[in-house]
Amino acid sequence: MKRWGWWWLLWGWPLGLPAADEVLDQVMRALAAVPAVEAVFREEKTLAILQEPLVTSGVLTYRAPAYLRKQTLRPRPEEYEADDHWLTVETPTDGRRQFDLNGYPQLRPFVEAIRATQAGDRATLERYYQLDFQGTPAGWSLRLTPREPEFARYLTAIVIRGRAASISSVETLEADGDRSLMTVNPR
Amino acid sequence: MSSRFSGFSLPGGEEPQRRWWIPLVWLLAALGCGWIVATTPVTADLTAFVPRADPVADLLLEQLRSGPTTRLMLIGLAGDSEVARATVSRRLAEHLKNNERFTRVANGADALPEADLQTLFTHRYQLSPTVAPERFTTVGLRAALEQRLRELQSPLAVLQKRWLPGDPTGELLTLLRVWRGGVGEPAKRLGVWFSPDGEHALLLAETRASGYDLAGQRAAVAAVRASFAAAGAGAEVKLTMSGPGVLATLAEDQVRAEAELRSTLATVAMVLILIGVYRSARTVWVGALPMLVALLAGAAAVDLLFGKMYMITLAFSITLLGETLDYPTYLFSHRRSGETVEETLCQLWPTLRLCAATTLLGCLAMITPDFPGLSQLGVFTLAGIAAAVATTRWLLPALLPSGWIPPRPGEIGAWADRLLEPRPKLALAFGALGVLLLTVLIVRAPPLWEDDIAALSPAPRALLRLDQELRAALGAPEVGRLIVIAASDAETALRHGERIAAWLDARRAEGALDGYDGPMRYLPSQQTQQWRQAQLPTPETLETHLANATTGLPFKSGLFQPFLDAVAAARAAPPLRPEDLRGTLLGTRLDALLLAGERGWSALLPLSGVRDARALIGGLPQAADSQAHYLDLRVETNRLVADFRDTALIRFGWGAALIVAVVWVGLRSWRGVAAALLPVLLALVVVVAALLALGERLSLFHLVSLLLVLGIGVDYGLFFSRPGADPAARRRTLHALLVCCGSALTVFILLSTSALPALHAIGLTVSLGVMASFVAALTLARPLLTRMS
Repeated sequence: MKRWGWWWLLWGWPLGLPAADEVLDQVMRALAAVPAVEAVFREEKTLAILQEPLVTSGVLTYRAPAYLRKQTLRPRPEEYEADDHWLTVETPTDGRRQFDLNGYPQLRPFVEAIRATQAGDRATLERYYQLDFQGTPAGWSLRLTPREPEFARYLTAIVIRGRAASISSVETLEADGDRSLMTVNPR
Repeated sequence: MSSRFSGFSLPGGEEPQRRWWIPLVWLLAALGCGWIVATTPVTADLTAFVPRADPVADLLLEQLRSGPTTRLMLIGLAGDSEVARATVSRRLAEHLKNNERFTRVANGADALPEADLQTLFTHRYQLSPTVAPERFTTVGLRAALEQRLRELQSPLAVLQKRWLPGDPTGELLTLLRVWRGGVGEPAKRLGVWFSPDGEHALLLAETRASGYDLAGQRAAVAAVRASFAAAGAGAEVKLTMSGPGVLATLAEDQVRAEAELRSTLATVAMVLILIGVYRSARTVWVGALPMLVALLAGAAAVDLLFGKMYMITLAFSITLLGETLDYPTYLFSHRRSGETVEETLCQLWPTLRLCAATTLLGCLAMITPDFPGLSQLGVFTLAGIAAAVATTRWLLPALLPSGWIPPRPGEIGAWADRLLEPRPKLALAFGALGVLLLTVLIVRAPPLWEDDIAALSPAPRALLRLDQELRAALGAPEVGRLIVIAASDAETALRHGERIAAWLDARRAEGALDGYDGPMRYLPSQQTQQWRQAQLPTPETLETHLANATTGLPFKSGLFQPFLDAVAAARAAPPLRPEDLRGTLLGTRLDALLLAGERGWSALLPLSGVRDARALIGGLPQAADSQAHYLDLRVETNRLVADFRDTALIRFGWGAALIVAVVWVGLRSWRGVAAALLPVLLALVVVVAALLALGERLSLFHLVSLLLVLGIGVDYGLFFSRPGADPAARRRTLHALLVCCGSALTVFILLSTSALPALHAIGLTVSLGVMASFVAALTLARPLLTRMS
């Protein structure tokens, strides 16, 4: 049995890649077909400087092809809205501020990790990340490793897990060991 | 030849001696002048226009000469794809940042380097405008910590949280906001600056060399080209450049190429005319001598008296000395057999010296201690004309065989007599036309003057347009409005700047302007730094407040030790001085706004979106030991040029009066004066009317050209009204004037077809003027004399 296991590896490895690639394309096509998503999220951040995890929750809204809003409701209201290359941030203290994502290259990959995945836009994802896909169309995980060294200084990887054409969780692994896990439940 | 020499007034024995020493004297003088000219610098700066003892003008000049606005280089990258343009922009910026010639290179991707971030972080309690006592109380700290906690929930916290343990009050964030603020920025694509339409990726480079250091600018332009060749390899991206220095070097290249081409053509035309008319090659080099001597003598005189020469003086003076080309022509056309060269000159001399004297006195009026540029022009022309007329009178007869006659001398057919016949009615009609035009000019009073200094720029219009486009796209201050503070030292200037900043904040709230920048934003005065340091609590107090503030918050214990240490260190830190920032990006920005000049320090506060300049001029806070001035570079520069022109006009008026006086002294007859001067007056009116009808506005170039027209026109009038000339002599005079007029027309029409504004203006004005002067002198001079006699 052990011997056969080796054989499986030898045979499965080269064959597995195109297979995963094909499944990724399949998942991407399914995601791209979704015109809009509305979901609630719960995010748990584990930070070295805090004694306990920081928990936030709110609503995620997506409209194809390029609109994504993350509206935090608890514990403090806050809103991030990305539309094409514009990012609007609204906080109770600073009010509304608008940024051109083109001008902030360190922000764009964060936005694209979720938006381009939900849009099934593999080309955009590959522009910022190295893609590592595992699983089946029914249950999959996509690991995004930053390509830019500048960005890799902050971020080790973002792991997105999903079922069929919907994202179920986004896990962010920061370079300093801090991490966050956002679970998403469509409404 | 000595057989044909009649022994006129001189013993024959002295003749060879005289022929020897005159050329020798001239040669030695020419060598001396040449040496002076070769060892004196020609400068292209604007001090030529600036009246002495005008404090605002002095500040302005310093700005124009070495201010950051003149050292800006605007770079645009067009073509290929957006990604390619952005990539080349990054690589080009990378290259240029390593180049010693540039103090600052920006393409939008200039996040502060880590070293600069650390500098800001280290000195945050001295630099941050938000440092205040209430910030370090329990309540203040609690509010700050809660705010930091809120920021941690943001997805962007990953970029900032490393600063939190040392800076819970967020001073670094304040400082970064200050750093990013200031004057507006262009839009970005792919992380770098782009024009609004996305066609150009944009970069901004600040050269170390001043905008008027042509050699330095040339080297900087070459460095950009070289870097671009390396950075743009493989891409189809095209480079465009602009900015005062770039314009100056490109303009110099284009002007030089254009001027060389035109002057070669003009020289060829002159040579062909002289050879065609007189059938003698000798007329070519003999004819050129007075002009060459005039240039050498004029330049040497200016160099001796002023120690330097303005480029614009040189250009204007060469134009004015065009008159000297006519002097030898008068000699050539009046030569006839049976008369020595010396004798011909003796007959011409009363008129010729009057011609020279009128121009000389006209130029004398220009010499004023207030305007060095105008004085140089006066001195140059004065010395040049004197040298040219002396050359014609004494050197030419020494060089020419005494009986020399051009193979085809100034004989002219019988048609000349009809042309020369006095026509009083035509003269009257011409006079009436002149009066009519003058009345129309006075009554309609069309806008006469070009007050925009840009019109003085020798740069081709297409280049200036490119400059404007790049400027608009970069949001670079096109209309330089700023407040300049002059003080004896940096600290005083910064303190005054802080007072003005507070005052400007209030004006901004009222809507008088959109924003401002200034050195005090980046480096507060030592006074302010020390005040901030004094607000910091003692370590014990801070520790207690912090302990109270963190109660109930999820921060780990001991997390803020770096904060406690930093505040304790900041209390005793020495104030940060300008020299401490040297070599950093912060230092370069500061250096551009806080300058050490000849007479102390100046702080510059560039303003953007000024809507109510009067409110800013009126209430500007002053200090006991420093002065603040509101400057609008464009308005001020244009005012200087207008002042210069007004002074020049008044001086020309005095010159005209002197000319009338000297003609009267020479002719001793008011009729003669009228005959000599009324034609040129008519011609000037006609030229001005014609220029305005052609849609031109008069600039200094036109004005100087009109001065040349005056000089030439007076000569025509004097020659056409020469007293006691017999019909044959009159025909020879007509021949001479036809040659003068024809060659001047050829040369200046060639210039007028140039695309360069300056050459075009000079060419058009002089060719119109020469034509009008000739016709007016021909029709008016004789009738004015004959009718009255």
